[in-house]
Amino acid sequence: MNIVIDGKSCTCEPGEFLLEVARRNGIYIPTLCNHEGLLGQGCCRVCIVEVVERGWSKTVVSCIYPVLNECEVHTNNEKIKQQRGIILRLLQKRAPQSEIIAALCKAYSAPALDKLNEKDGKCIICGLCVRACSTLGAGAIATVNRGITKEIAPPFNEPPADCIGCGSCARVCPTKAIEYHENETTRTVWEKTFTLVHCASCGAQMGTQEELNFAAEKAGTEPSTLCDACRKKQLALVMADVYSAT
Amino acid sequence: MKRTLLVCCGTGCLANGSEQVVQALENAINKMGVMGQIEVKAHIKRTGCNGFCENGPIVQILPDDISYYKVKPHDAQDILSALQENKVVERLLYKNENGERIKSKLENPFYKPQYKIALRNIGEIDPGNIEDYISRGGYEALTKALNMSGSEIIEQVELSGLRGRGGAGFPTGRKWRTAAGYDVFPKYVVCNGDEGDPGAFMDRSILEGDPHSVIEGMAICALAIGATEGFLYIRDEYGLALKNVNAALASALELGFLGKNIMGSGKALNLSVVRGGGAFVCGESTALMASIEGRVGEPRAKYIRSVQRGLWDCPTVLNNVETFANIPVIIRDGGPLYATLGTKTSSGTKVFALVGKVKRTGLVEVQMGATLRHLIFDIGGGIIDDRPFKAVQTGGPSGGCIPSAMLDLPVDFDTLTQYGAMMGSGGMIVMDDRDCMVEVARYYVKFLTEESCGKCTPCREGLRHMLDILTGICEGRGQDGDLELLEQLCQTIAESSLCALGKSAPNPVLTTLKYFRDEYEAHIHNKYCPAGVCSKLTTFVIEKNKCKSCGLCKKNCPVNAIRGEKGQAYEIDQRSCIACGSCRQACRFEAILAQGRAQK
Repeated sequence: MNIVIDGKSCTCEPGEFLLEVARRNGIYIPTLCNHEGLLGQGCCRVCIVEVVERGWSKTVVSCIYPVLNECEVHTNNEKIKQQRGIILRLLQKRAPQSEIIAALCKAYSAPALDKLNEKDGKCIICGLCVRACSTLGAGAIATVNRGITKEIAPPFNEPPADCIGCGSCARVCPTKAIEYHENETTRTVWEKTFTLVHCASCGAQMGTQEELNFAAEKAGTEPSTLCDACRKKQLALVMADVYSAT
Repeated sequence: MKRTLLVCCGTGCLANGSEQVVQALENAINKMGVMGQIEVKAHIKRTGCNGFCENGPIVQILPDDISYYKVKPHDAQDILSALQENKVVERLLYKNENGERIKSKLENPFYKPQYKIALRNIGEIDPGNIEDYISRGGYEALTKALNMSGSEIIEQVELSGLRGRGGAGFPTGRKWRTAAGYDVFPKYVVCNGDEGDPGAFMDRSILEGDPHSVIEGMAICALAIGATEGFLYIRDEYGLALKNVNAALASALELGFLGKNIMGSGKALNLSVVRGGGAFVCGESTALMASIEGRVGEPRAKYIRSVQRGLWDCPTVLNNVETFANIPVIIRDGGPLYATLGTKTSSGTKVFALVGKVKRTGLVEVQMGATLRHLIFDIGGGIIDDRPFKAVQTGGPSGGCIPSAMLDLPVDFDTLTQYGAMMGSGGMIVMDDRDCMVEVARYYVKFLTEESCGKCTPCREGLRHMLDILTGICEGRGQDGDLELLEQLCQTIAESSLCALGKSAPNPVLTTLKYFRDEYEAHIHNKYCPAGVCSKLTTFVIEKNKCKSCGLCKKNCPVNAIRGEKGQAYEIDQRSCIACGSCRQACRFEAILAQGRAQK
């Protein structure tokens, strides 16, 4: 089927998310909470667009809007620009330290709503980190409270017991709000410091011991002491032995 | 003659001591029996809420048709003695505006204009006794429905024109028809009993006072769409509702109205209660379903409706308590008859919780299309102390404030929406000239900042910023541009929020801005609260020539800021006064004046 986005005719499959269709056709829509590995979050609302379907106009969130009927889409008209500007200004009030939001505000000429509180950080409570953590299976962090007091936190605001230090939360965070430090030997996240394990053969960093144990337990194997590359190399040698023996 | 004493045991009357009244009546009956004087065989029944809670505890005597109000345990002896002599206790009868005592419930000006369908049994039956419900035609509709096809049942609901009573007003028949059309099983039927609007208690009353009508309505729906499993989602704060519904489910199961083989038809329905943890947002359909599934009560985008993919991704019909309570009557008497009630586009009746500054507060059921004036002035008896009416807030945090110029609007699904408010689920808060509309808007926004699920940006952050602006205006920090920014925020929140909570959250602000903009401007430009409510902008003074030095103000002052003695005019010490307004509320002589601080 065909839809028209910003005047351009685009081909798509029924049920495809509007954002995907736009991106495939080179039309830029800003996003924050959209992550290709964790689709369907749909809560930052930065990617709103106007959809006109059978004469009816509505504002929808393009990252979770399934295209089911022929329609005309406006990703950046005056109305959307104004509303997106307001959403960005609201996000900036919540996360004044975030560089990406500051840049978007600048791009949309959205001035600060009022004096920003320096104590506020970078988190926009989109919950991607929570989803990443629970999708992996550790489930060490969660959203706490509701309404304007909602926040992302480990249980009791203590370093989370279930955290395996994989750092997925920090990696998916669109505003780099989760503190994450790493040096040669240790990694610190959620105020919990983990010892990093290195490959017994080549010495490459393999992650935290907790991470390796967690993965091994899920796979029903013993934690490996070799990195991926060395394990493959070792396996190749075994195979070569088997073949040369025959 | 055998008499039945119906003692109201709704939440309001229980709080006013109706359980003690029951005890006292029982004791009195026993005592009279022992003394051999009794000629009246009285039987006591604990009923659900009669709706006229402020006049509780209420005792109705049948078949004499006597209703007593504000009954205390020590009245029990008088009531029974009078009954023995076929007399009435005059002092316990309701007194109308002209000072006449009213004996019959139906002659009471509060009840007379009402038309009861959803509340048909409440106050007349013991909710704990299924036989009571059956004796008033209960489960007849289910029996009838068992001999109809699903499509025939739905046709009657469609013909009735019934629209969802939860607030959105979606045609119930169409919802059922859509759900019935999906060939995916299992299907679910869910009752939304997560009533949470401030000041609303319609669903609570039905669940407490007539749980079987809801169960029967759900069973009929299940037959119509082909569901075999259902849930009643009831907020945990409604303790009596939970108790009565659970008991009703058990007795309906016992008599075969539910279970694996409904009345021998071979059809099955299992209903169970899910307790809500107290989040307002769980009244939103998708959040409610998430909560039933055991997830955090957050809504999802409804680009695919829950009637197609609801509970556990299966077709689900979710209706409000009051909607289900209407169903048995529609099936029993036929859809076309129901459609003759109310207006063309909003058929039937609607229950309202009439509260605030109105003389007769309580639960009322009227035909759709009744005017606000009829509700507030005829049934409600007008404003307390005959002060000027200022506004009525309908529809809770999703609704709006309607000014006096619009009192003659008919109340139905569509009319109020055209004016920016909505009928909503039935909350109706009446306000007089001593209510500040900016403060009302601030109150609702504050409520929603606490009750938003916090998932999407416009609702969570937008409401937070609106609250900052409104608090600023109420505290005298309002500035030019505030109102324009509020309007922009409202538009964005309304259009880009995830669920109906966010989409309708701006309504209290938008309607007050539309109809009471001058009040906002007085706060911002003159730092003056015309209603004398916003304490940072208001001082109270006692007008010496009007003060009768009765001392009521002094007695009511929470911080002892009022000095004076009998015989002299009282005076307020401005240094310790917190401008709460208790003195003004207490004064019977209009001697206490609210002034702007800036005007001093």
